[in-house]
Amino acid sequence: MRLSPHCEALLQEFIDLRPQLILLDNKIFELLQTTMQQQGIELNSIEHRIKGVESLAGKLERKGEKYHSLSDITDLIGLRIVTFYTDDVDKVAAIVSQLFDIDWSNSVDKRKLHDFNSFGYNSLHYICQLHEGSIPFEIQIRTALQHTWSAIEHDIGYKGAVKLPPQYRRQFSRLAGMLELADDEFSRLRTTMTEYRRQIQTLVKSGNLSDVTLSTDSFRSYLELHPFERLNQRIAAVNQAELFPASLMPFLRVLEHFGMESLGDVQAMVDDLSDTAYQLALSQLAVTDLDILSESVGLQNLCVVYALKHGGGRDDVKMIYDTLYGANESNAILADAMIRQYKAIGQKQ
Amino acid sequence: MKTTFKEEEKNFVMYFEGRLDTAASAEVEKSMAPLYECSGHDIILDCTALEYISSSGLRLFLGLLKAAKPKGSHVYLRNMNEDLRQVFAMTGFINLFEFI
Repeated sequence: MRLSPHCEALLQEFIDLRPQLILLDNKIFELLQTTMQQQGIELNSIEHRIKGVESLAGKLERKGEKYHSLSDITDLIGLRIVTFYTDDVDKVAAIVSQLFDIDWSNSVDKRKLHDFNSFGYNSLHYICQLHEGSIPFEIQIRTALQHTWSAIEHDIGYKGAVKLPPQYRRQFSRLAGMLELADDEFSRLRTTMTEYRRQIQTLVKSGNLSDVTLSTDSFRSYLELHPFERLNQRIAAVNQAELFPASLMPFLRVLEHFGMESLGDVQAMVDDLSDTAYQLALSQLAVTDLDILSESVGLQNLCVVYALKHGGGRDDVKMIYDTLYGANESNAILADAMIRQYKAIGQKQ
Repeated sequence: MKTTFKEEEKNFVMYFEGRLDTAASAEVEKSMAPLYECSGHDIILDCTALEYISSSGLRLFLGLLKAAKPKGSHVYLRNMNEDLRQVFAMTGFINLFEFI
């Protein structure tokens, strides 16, 4: 590779400057990472790199005379923010333009470069500087699907020396269109799901539980109301026990197995059977000195009572344990013990 | 109450013998210290000869579980008799541990 004296000087200046560029690159990366976390934006990745010496030498060989100084080369430091959703590209771009000074005349929104009937590379390229002044750096912002398309296009589109015939270019273009559509659909789906969760939370909070179908989302929202807390507190009071936090989500499968269809069904179980569930827990714990209990204790006893009240027997109680703890023959022994206790408190099976 | 610590096939194994009650728990807690250095190892609490467990014993097991989880280590309870298993079921702790 032969470089002009001017380009040789630029290359040497870059080599001398590299340690400072590495520091600046890390500073920008950390600032971006922290800010995105603070803003609650989940990202696929943030990549960052300093241009390689070989790569810069190649660039200088090709078009070195147009660069008067190193600061005319805007991609010595390059960062790429890859979002999951297309909506987030604009959100991230807005944050980037707050964090840094943007050189708008050299920044490009590739999304706007396409005609209405063409598809292809979609990415935002911002040329930035720190507010307090720095060497320019480039930040690219794109979605994960755009990133994948671009990486594949780069891999199979540009590596060969042979120019691709139009039909292959068209094939790329069709794929880009398809991914653009998929990006929009993912964003739309996220919006729809967020709206659905909000509706569920509103219904749960307003107490219209019978209108809410039992599902992972609705049960999670329901648990935020701490529907079993009162029962747990009563049971804990038996031995002045400490309550150890536990997830109640595994119980969803048990409730579904019971045929419950709405949160109203779950609440009816709490309203109707809490007293019996308390008695059942009391009969087991009162003869022990156990003063530490899991927060699942109330719901577990409720489920046992529900199964037995609805005509269930050993297999039905065993099903509860099998579902929660994994199938195990020992669960039949636990079920037998529970049924004995249930009868001992005067309940008929 | 007697405890024995062994490393078996990359697992940290502790054997419990006797009654793990409040009186024994302070001593047992000390003997369980090596289990807390469990990065890269799973833990097996062998309960074949464990006759009784009180709340203090449950707390020791829960404390160990809490420390082991973030390190990616599993805590298995091995050969626990039915009475003790019932204590774990009664308190709702049975689903926190893995039984083998």
